[in-house]
Amino acid sequence: MSQPVSAISIQGLTKDFSVTLRGVKLRAVDALNLEVSEGQVYGLLGPNGSGKSTTIKIILGLLDATVGDVRVFGVPANRVEARRNVGYLPEAPYFYRYLSGRELVKFYARVCGVSGTKLKSRVDEVIDWVGLSGAADRRVGTYSKGMLQRIGLAQALVHDPKLIVLDEPTAGVDPVGSAEMCELIRKLKHQGKTVLITSHLLAQIEDVCDRVAILDRGKLIVEGSVLELVGQRDRQALIVDPLPEADLEALRGWLAARGHSLNAVEQPRARLDQLFLSKVSRPGRPGGASAGVGSNEVPLDAKP
Amino acid sequence: MSVASVPFSFSRLSLIAGNTFLEAVRQKLFNFLLLLAIGLVASAQFFREFNFGSSELKFISDFGFGALIFFGSALTIATTAQLFFSEIENRTALTLLAKPLWRAEFVFGKFLGVFAVIGVFCALTIGLMMALLWHREGQLMGARPEDFANGRLIAYGDLLVVGVLQWLKFGVLAAIVLLIASFSNTNLFTVVTGFFVLVICHLQYLARDAWGNVDNAVLGLVVRALGFIFPNFQLFNLADQIGQGSGVSSVVALQVAGYAVAYIGVIGGLAVYSFRNREI
Ligand SMILES: Nc1ncnc2c1ncn2[C@@H]1O[C@H](COP(=O)(O)OP(=O)(O)OP(=O)(O)O)[C@@H](O)[C@H]1O
Ligand SMILES: [Mg+2]
Repeated sequence: MSQPVSAISIQGLTKDFSVTLRGVKLRAVDALNLEVSEGQVYGLLGPNGSGKSTTIKIILGLLDATVGDVRVFGVPANRVEARRNVGYLPEAPYFYRYLSGRELVKFYARVCGVSGTKLKSRVDEVIDWVGLSGAADRRVGTYSKGMLQRIGLAQALVHDPKLIVLDEPTAGVDPVGSAEMCELIRKLKHQGKTVLITSHLLAQIEDVCDRVAILDRGKLIVEGSVLELVGQRDRQALIVDPLPEADLEALRGWLAARGHSLNAVEQPRARLDQLFLSKVSRPGRPGGASAGVGSNEVPLDAKP
Repeated sequence: MSVASVPFSFSRLSLIAGNTFLEAVRQKLFNFLLLLAIGLVASAQFFREFNFGSSELKFISDFGFGALIFFGSALTIATTAQLFFSEIENRTALTLLAKPLWRAEFVFGKFLGVFAVIGVFCALTIGLMMALLWHREGQLMGARPEDFANGRLIAYGDLLVVGVLQWLKFGVLAAIVLLIASFSNTNLFTVVTGFFVLVICHLQYLARDAWGNVDNAVLGLVVRALGFIFPNFQLFNLADQIGQGSGVSSVVALQVAGYAVAYIGVIGGLAVYSFRNREI
């Protein structure tokens, strides 16, 4: 193959759930196409019930696609081999309460085939990395939400996968904790990992992601690099070194002489959350009030 | 692109089994088991006052096996369903099955974990029962030596064999419950259906005796098919043969053990097949 394989390649993915006994179908994902290249941090956004978690579960082979082709590093997602290079943190994670944090990570490491002398060092390393060394010997049942997310990240990373899938890693985590989570994701990117992440905290997604896709009722409505999406089309930003006041004045004069004006001296970026709210439809809440994102589930019944 | 395949791994299977066993241990299920076993066997002590003589020993052994069969069956169904659904309902199966792990390893791992838990229960009950019998037999030997002219009456080896066979029977039952759980959505449905199947497995020989030779060919076929699909749990009741001259024949014991292992294999295979495409 001449072209490098995508970390994740989704083509024509549709997923229907039977929701009643009479076979009424709910379309959770609708004709989705998505490519995530290696080394990217990719954000999957969308309101509650838009099909993000469903897409992720199909990538991990936990659900079967109704129609479509999903591949992870070129391997069909429903094969066991496809999961060898993938680490996964489920949404609202919940782990074996009766194990200590260290035992938990060790268990998953061994399931993933980490063994021998590497086992202990690797387990200690990831626990340290997510900042849980102090609580590693406590029962997971006593962990707070933020700690569960951290131990979840540790178990996702323990076998050093190339692709890491994080379903709402910052849900229920305080601002400091979620900033730290973003820092960890950035570190993963520097290590050359591919990261697929969903979140409702759009500002954070914006800071950490290279590309984003927005789903609405299972359909892809926006896809592109973050800069491309939130840059304003009717404006242009000239990125220059900081200019002394005198040079700035000279530039204004130069522009004025050509019939242009220098409108602002700042970074021309809109917030991603504005784009998000303007693009997705919000049933029952015309006008798109900002309250409610990430709180209660909005039932969406897609037509079959 | 070719990828190295992930071979079926017994070490992963035993990891899952070990974790399932550990869950039972740490969730205090074990304390309950221990108490149950002690309570059961100790309650046989109440009947000591009747002073049945050597028939008292037979009574203790019957009582012990009755308790083992009754509580063992209930425990097998409840434990299997509980240990399976705790993974599904707590969504820990999500994390686990997202690892490079075969679903067959998951199902058989669960089976072996449950089987080990029931094994501990059987060992406790049988062990306590044998200790009690030994102790009581010793007392009776002192009191009425004429009854024990040829040494001890109880064949302890046979007791052990029958105990192991009961354990295997619970293994078959656990496999059946896992098969039901593999497609069922709720714990309750699984437990209720499990009990229903248990009753069929214990009573199917009645149907075979009653209708197996009827003239109606269709009905005869149905009954025979039923007898083939559902294992006959009556086969495992060798306890009655203990202490009756010949004792338990090792050929019969091996045949029954083979019967159990074959059913476990087939039903376990069906459970894997049905769980293969389950949406987690
Ligand atoms: N197992 C299932 N059976 C039936 N319907 C389901 C199932 N799983 C998900 N759905 C439905 O599919 C749709 C998409 O759900 P999904 O969990 O993928 O949304 P999401 O984008 O992850 O939402 P959230 O932001 O709330 O996590 C929802 O309408 C949901 O009710
Ligand atoms: Mg979700």
